[in-house]
Amino acid sequence: MSALADGLARWLGERWGMTVTVAGLDQSSAGARRTNLGFDATADGVTRRLAATILPTADIQLIDLGAEAEVRTLAQANGVITPFIHGACLDPSVIGGPFFVSDFVTGESVPRRVLRLVEQAGNGERIAAQIADALARLHAVDPALAPAGLPRPADGVGPIATALGGVRDSIGLLLQPEPALLYGLRWLEANRPDEPARRTIVHSDVRTGNVIVGADGLRAILDWETAKVGDPMEDLAWPCLRMWRFRNDDLLVGGISRIEPYRDAYRAAGGAWDQDRFEWWRALGTLRWGLGLANQAAQHLDGRFRTIVMAASGRRVSELTWDLLCLITPPGGRID
Amino acid sequence: MQYRPTAAELLADIADLLDDEVLDAVGGPLQHRVRVAGNLARILEREVRLAPVADAAEAERLRALLGRDGTLVELRAALAARLGDPTPFDADTERAVHAALVATTRADLAIAKPGHDDWSRG
Repeated sequence: MSALADGLARWLGERWGMTVTVAGLDQSSAGARRTNLGFDATADGVTRRLAATILPTADIQLIDLGAEAEVRTLAQANGVITPFIHGACLDPSVIGGPFFVSDFVTGESVPRRVLRLVEQAGNGERIAAQIADALARLHAVDPALAPAGLPRPADGVGPIATALGGVRDSIGLLLQPEPALLYGLRWLEANRPDEPARRTIVHSDVRTGNVIVGADGLRAILDWETAKVGDPMEDLAWPCLRMWRFRNDDLLVGGISRIEPYRDAYRAAGGAWDQDRFEWWRALGTLRWGLGLANQAAQHLDGRFRTIVMAASGRRVSELTWDLLCLITPPGGRID
Repeated sequence: MQYRPTAAELLADIADLLDDEVLDAVGGPLQHRVRVAGNLARILEREVRLAPVADAAEAERLRALLGRDGTLVELRAALAARLGDPTPFDADTERAVHAALVATTRADLAIAKPGHDDWSRG
């Protein structure tokens, strides 16, 4: 066995109290921040396919890996479809970085393949409704149960004010004035909704690309590293941004579904839909993504993270500027 | 003045080299970066061709909108300063500002991502 397989086998063996062997390691994806690895764990003659999510080091995580495992377990206990977590290991010496182990879920998650599958299976509206149902269940969890490691707005500050403050700070860091982004911030200020009546746990990155689907529908919601306490409408708006439609622009929800089945399913599962806050969070998310791309270009230019991929992000800002201007057309205005 | 090929012609040649020859010759993670570099060379080719006219048109729009003269950099800074002031615009000005930003973004997209403005419903 490799050192990695050996480390996983020893760690699982201690947790399960039996001898475990690990084989069939297969790296399914490797991002800058984390690696996902499929493997077979055999104990007592039974083989299970599991997945390890591994961070290269402990210092680049958005939230503590333990908190991420906790929030996933909490979500699953409340009916959210997400792979079962067998445990988290924060000790980087076991396999070279903090990790957690979950059940391996088969299916499609790569956006172009998801869109193809959905088109063939004709199950886009079903999946959109299942996503909305899962979000309603997550939002129904008592926020007092949120793991202590989850980020949350400061005392006395709401999620709307927190998000606006973040955008304002990022705009201050732009390398040159971008009038369209400033126009977006003006709109967000002028159309600022009331803070939500209820704060909830939010995933904040559910979208095409972060879900596993099959012909039978939604199989898992992945990538909980952005979980926090916030406005539930932020979660509903995010999958409906143009960048997650992968050119299937007619279908507002992630390029797979009209809005109606998604909204209806959220309400049917007890969620309170607020159209004004939905529209506001769509504009905010679009602006924030544009600022994120500008920040990537800045990181390339100042040497923090030099790569041509980050450099190219600077030339993508105009895509988000366009999407934003389309979302905030003033009354009587139009885009020819 | 440089002899031909022009900057735009050379950038197209570099993009062709990256897309048609280098991409297949390299493997692994470098492939993605080569693809990105090829796309950037195509963006620069369009920028060399289109930016002079686009920048002049943007400056002209901003002069009309702001009622003042200046270089493009000065005019953009002036618009940014006005947008940073929360005092509302009247409805006509609001529409004119939005329309000017749409026109500029459309010209930017003609360079950076042609076709992205085919969809305008957000």
